[in-house]
Amino acid sequence: MNRKWLSLGLVAASVLALIAFGVVLEPYPYWMHIAIVAFFYAILASSWSLLAGYAGQFSFGHMAFMAIGAYTAGIFGKFIRLSTAPTGICSEIPLGNTWLVFLNAIPERGTVTGQNCLELGKAHMPVGTLIYQLPAMPGIVLGIIMGGIFGFLIGLLVLRLRRTYLALFTIGFSEILRTALNAEIDITQGPNGLELAPLFPKGVHLFGYYFSSVNKVPPYYVMLALFLVSMAVMYWLAASRFGLFIRSIREDEEAAAALGVHIVRYKVLVFVVTSMIAAAAGAVQAHYITVITPNILLIMQMSLVIAMAVIGGLESLIGAAIGAIIIEFALELLRTSFTIGPIVVEMTTWRLVFFGLLLMLTLRFWNNGLIHPIIQRLTRVGWAEEAVSRRVAMAEEME
Amino acid sequence: MENASYFLLALLWILCWGTIGAVVTPRIYGRKDLDVSQAGLAGAATGAAGGPFFLIPLWYLTPELDWKWVVIPAVVIVVIFAGAFAAADPDNLCVTRGGFVATQLVNGLVIGIIYGLMALGLTLIFSILGVVSFAHGEFYMIGGMAVYYLTTIWFPGLHPLVGVLGAALLTFVIGIIFERLFLRAMNTGQVERPGEYAILVTFGLAFFLQYLTLALVGANPKKVARFVEYPAINLPSTENPALLKVTVSSIQLFDFISISTSRFTAAIIAVVLLGALMWFLYRTWIGKALRAVSQDRQAAAVAGINPNTMNTLAFGLGTMLAGLSGASLVQVFSWVPWVGIPASARSFVIIVLGGMGSLPGAFIGGLFVGIVEAIGAGCVPDPQRAASYIPAYGMLILTLVLLLKPTGLFGREL
Repeated sequence: MNRKWLSLGLVAASVLALIAFGVVLEPYPYWMHIAIVAFFYAILASSWSLLAGYAGQFSFGHMAFMAIGAYTAGIFGKFIRLSTAPTGICSEIPLGNTWLVFLNAIPERGTVTGQNCLELGKAHMPVGTLIYQLPAMPGIVLGIIMGGIFGFLIGLLVLRLRRTYLALFTIGFSEILRTALNAEIDITQGPNGLELAPLFPKGVHLFGYYFSSVNKVPPYYVMLALFLVSMAVMYWLAASRFGLFIRSIREDEEAAAALGVHIVRYKVLVFVVTSMIAAAAGAVQAHYITVITPNILLIMQMSLVIAMAVIGGLESLIGAAIGAIIIEFALELLRTSFTIGPIVVEMTTWRLVFFGLLLMLTLRFWNNGLIHPIIQRLTRVGWAEEAVSRRVAMAEEME
Repeated sequence: MENASYFLLALLWILCWGTIGAVVTPRIYGRKDLDVSQAGLAGAATGAAGGPFFLIPLWYLTPELDWKWVVIPAVVIVVIFAGAFAAADPDNLCVTRGGFVATQLVNGLVIGIIYGLMALGLTLIFSILGVVSFAHGEFYMIGGMAVYYLTTIWFPGLHPLVGVLGAALLTFVIGIIFERLFLRAMNTGQVERPGEYAILVTFGLAFFLQYLTLALVGANPKKVARFVEYPAINLPSTENPALLKVTVSSIQLFDFISISTSRFTAAIIAVVLLGALMWFLYRTWIGKALRAVSQDRQAAAVAGINPNTMNTLAFGLGTMLAGLSGASLVQVFSWVPWVGIPASARSFVIIVLGGMGSLPGAFIGGLFVGIVEAIGAGCVPDPQRAASYIPAYGMLILTLVLLLKPTGLFGREL
């Protein structure tokens, strides 16, 4: 009982501290930004650790699902408008008095007019027609659904097979997605990056304060909320029968199947769930930074998430999340280059070399990561005494 | 594409009947109590090739399925596919000029030899250690970088072949050091869950090597001069080089097949290396020991072969093959620290296609992927897009293999 209250207290205290940080850090947009990015990575690292650490399925395509979420939200924002009058040229769906307008993709260069159908249609529309962009939320939801669909299809294809195939396939899938995003310039703007509206284009009024669309406070709390919700969902999953099943699959697939666990179904399910969480993180992050390029899919980004999860503790969701937050801050602190005599040490690259080495060494010598054991030690305060007192009581009973 | 609808209709037809064949055939064979192990694949192939006209006789007669039931439909599918493509896009270079197709085919074969060499390294590692090295592309990259630094920066004028040997030595040494420090622990029980550990630690190695190289050499593309300058040859005569025309940059056969000289050199190097590798694996004691370990670790150990030593050696050899393919291709492409990523993705496609752990499979898979990439890059309309989608053709193959025959062409049953 003691231990349960202690961990609950710890969780409550850290949630309150994270909420308070939003107020404390408000005057320092730079640190706010890093905190938001840290939460973003924390979501990715912890969901990856659910997939890899709990279910034992090693996907190198986690960032690809993140990018699917981000690009779905971006493309949704770019191509869908609400209008109070029909354009007559675009494909559109009437919704009562308003029309849902689907814009056409126009090539970046070399077109006659260079205008999309909405611009052309404006000429025929009555004066006073209002055209709005939809809010970010439906785009984010659509992004999450797309992440789930892709996760389902890939999972169905690959998870029937041995676990190496998932790693092989997702690494290729991630590369192909990057190629496609780079090549389909008409839709994704290619390497120039796809621009998105901020999370709250008109700013937010909250508790009598006004936060403009570039203020970091609203995105901080949105990302924090997403982080807490995804952690809660994942802990609930891990504690349920589902969590038991996926861990049994990790330990021994044949034995789990023999005991009646439908292994492919559960593997696909955990893959879909983690893909959706990654897509959610990507969609929110895309709306926060307002521009996304295919470079978010570089294998390096994936390696960083893996390094965070492994250093934090592969079998611990909270360990992976804390690992991600610490490493993100460490990466920022290690940004300054310095010189040793005539040699300039470019820290922007060397810090990644360092984390690559740390990743390998952690894997080799500390199976549980570096942060998970610390958490265990902290939350086990009082455990020893409890155990001793119980043993004493048992001994007395025996007598 | 003028009449894209023809092509799409043909594709839809193939896909639709292929799916029906793949789903229904095993059930029918199962109901008749026959062998269903090949039924899915053969059904998919037959259905895709002939639709209901082939499937209904197949379901009715249920003959014994062997390789013919896959190969013959596959040929028919390729013919249908090509025909639909020609009908859809009659002005495409691939349709109007046979010479262009021949050139693409030859170029695909030539580059495929090197892909095969690289994939051989990966499959050698897999067959002996049971590990897929996710750092394979990084060794390819390091091989190329080593040649660049040896022959262009440190010792200008050094013979390129010495550079290639240096690259081989470097990648071999890095490979055995890594195996000794990190992978040996798998066999001594020092890590929990060796399978997972191997995936992650090789991926970590890729991350580390890529950024180490980036930190050491920078992100600027490196370019190496052609290894060999061929003399100008014209056959039968200078005025009428109908048979063979060799210039500085390209070799032209029969007036219509042209290969760049640097690719040709790389392929020659690869063929020589393949010969050497085959001699090593099949004729020397160590090579036989390696193959013995890949067949049965315990029996090999009983026969006096130290499996741990063979692990180290195999990993070093595998990384050396990747390094050698990088070293021979550095004169063809410009070289950056992340050049290994698509290369390793391609090697994964090849070893899955050939069957994990199968040496001939890796080589044939390499040739196949080389040809598919060359045809794809040459024939897909909109050349710029076709070129940027080169890695996607391999992924398409991988998806099909995983769907239809996950064990690959020559794989052992899983």
